[in-house]
Amino acid sequence: MIDIEIVDLLIGFSILVLPIIVFLYFRIRLIKDLLVSILRMIGQLFLVAVYLEWIFEKNNAWINSLWVVVMILIGAGTVLKRVKLNWKEYLFPFILAGFISMIIIDSFFLGLVLKLDYVFDARYFVPISGMVLGNSLNHNIVGLSTYFDGLSQKRELYYFILTNSGSKKKAILPFIQDALIKGLNPLLANMSVIGLISLPGMMTGQILGGASPVVAIKYQVMIMLAIFVGCTMTLVLSVLFSGRFLFDDYGRVKEHGA
Amino acid sequence: MIEFEGVCLSFGAVSVFEDLSFHADAGLHTCLSGLSGKGKSSILKMVQGFVVPEKGDILVDGLELNPENVKAIRSKLAFAPQNINLPVKNGKELVELIGEDLSEDLIMRNIGFLGLSSDMFNRSFDEMSGGQKQRVVIAFCLALPRQIVLLDEPTASLDDESIDHLIRLVAGQKGKTIVSASHNQKWINSADEVITL
Repeated sequence: MIDIEIVDLLIGFSILVLPIIVFLYFRIRLIKDLLVSILRMIGQLFLVAVYLEWIFEKNNAWINSLWVVVMILIGAGTVLKRVKLNWKEYLFPFILAGFISMIIIDSFFLGLVLKLDYVFDARYFVPISGMVLGNSLNHNIVGLSTYFDGLSQKRELYYFILTNSGSKKKAILPFIQDALIKGLNPLLANMSVIGLISLPGMMTGQILGGASPVVAIKYQVMIMLAIFVGCTMTLVLSVLFSGRFLFDDYGRVKEHGA
Repeated sequence: MIEFEGVCLSFGAVSVFEDLSFHADAGLHTCLSGLSGKGKSSILKMVQGFVVPEKGDILVDGLELNPENVKAIRSKLAFAPQNINLPVKNGKELVELIGEDLSEDLIMRNIGFLGLSSDMFNRSFDEMSGGQKQRVVIAFCLALPRQIVLLDEPTASLDDESIDHLIRLVAGQKGKTIVSASHNQKWINSADEVITL
């Protein structure tokens, strides 16, 4: 793969002149945001590169797992912040949900599909876990927002089903269905047009790295399945594990805001 | 069947009940009457355990309403709200949603009693007026195998003729305890007991 020299990287940045001209011409105040975003991107990716170099060099199961655990923690924190939930109550259920789904996904795809002798191999374990967690994040936020907002805003419906069915499981069912549909639909839509209107990053990266397109496609299919299953599992488990904090002793919906 | 003893309820600084005591006898229709804001609907919510009073005791069929008994109490209740947005298309899907082993024939018979054609059971809620939808939900709740039926403003969207149909249907519910909240005089007059708030 052709390396990009620092000078060439700087030449690459010069293309930003075009959007900056557009911003200036239309008097759009985005230049500062653009520069901050680019600096953050460079800083974050540089740090990740340093970390990953070190992690790849050590290739130690504990260090690799710790890296994935940190990603799960950041993911759970991001969900809590975006869905505006109480940290004290919901952090643990969301971490547990992310942890269990990652165990399932990594064991299945790395152990059973790729048949790795060493499933904690940093080259596979770290990027695949990261892709699943990162790509699931937005869908989890949409799904969990739908679930928590739905129960808050449509309490009367929840109470109607709870009294008439006598079952909390039945009473929350429409809300879980709604959360899964809204959370997973964009992912299904994405899968159905993949390759037609977009070339996925992982596949493109592998092809640029010298892999054959057929191998790249196989990995891409696998990662899409992993993302879909991971997202479904995290969403469902987060809903199930958070039930203890969402309802009071009478089965009423509690205020769950941060 | 339902007993309130010394119940105090307030929402924030607003006191709704300071010392409410009453009972609704088994097998009778007890109507809670009073102007809007007097707490009629709150009483129905308290019976279901969705609003918990600060003080006082609530007994439903001999069971004290508390976290341990709330599930058992709800299993004795059916509740028809004034209006509700259901996440299902029609009455048939409502049966599936609630998942009770109840007779569709009985629901359709109740629907017929309420002056609607039995095909209302399969008709989309979106195509129904507020009154038609309310009557289908009431027909459904009366068909549930429960001892106690709570009706919140059951005549709210009904015309005079439909109110007559509903009065006759409720009067025919032998063995069931009906507790309703209403300020419709015709409906209040039809009740066995009236509790004015």
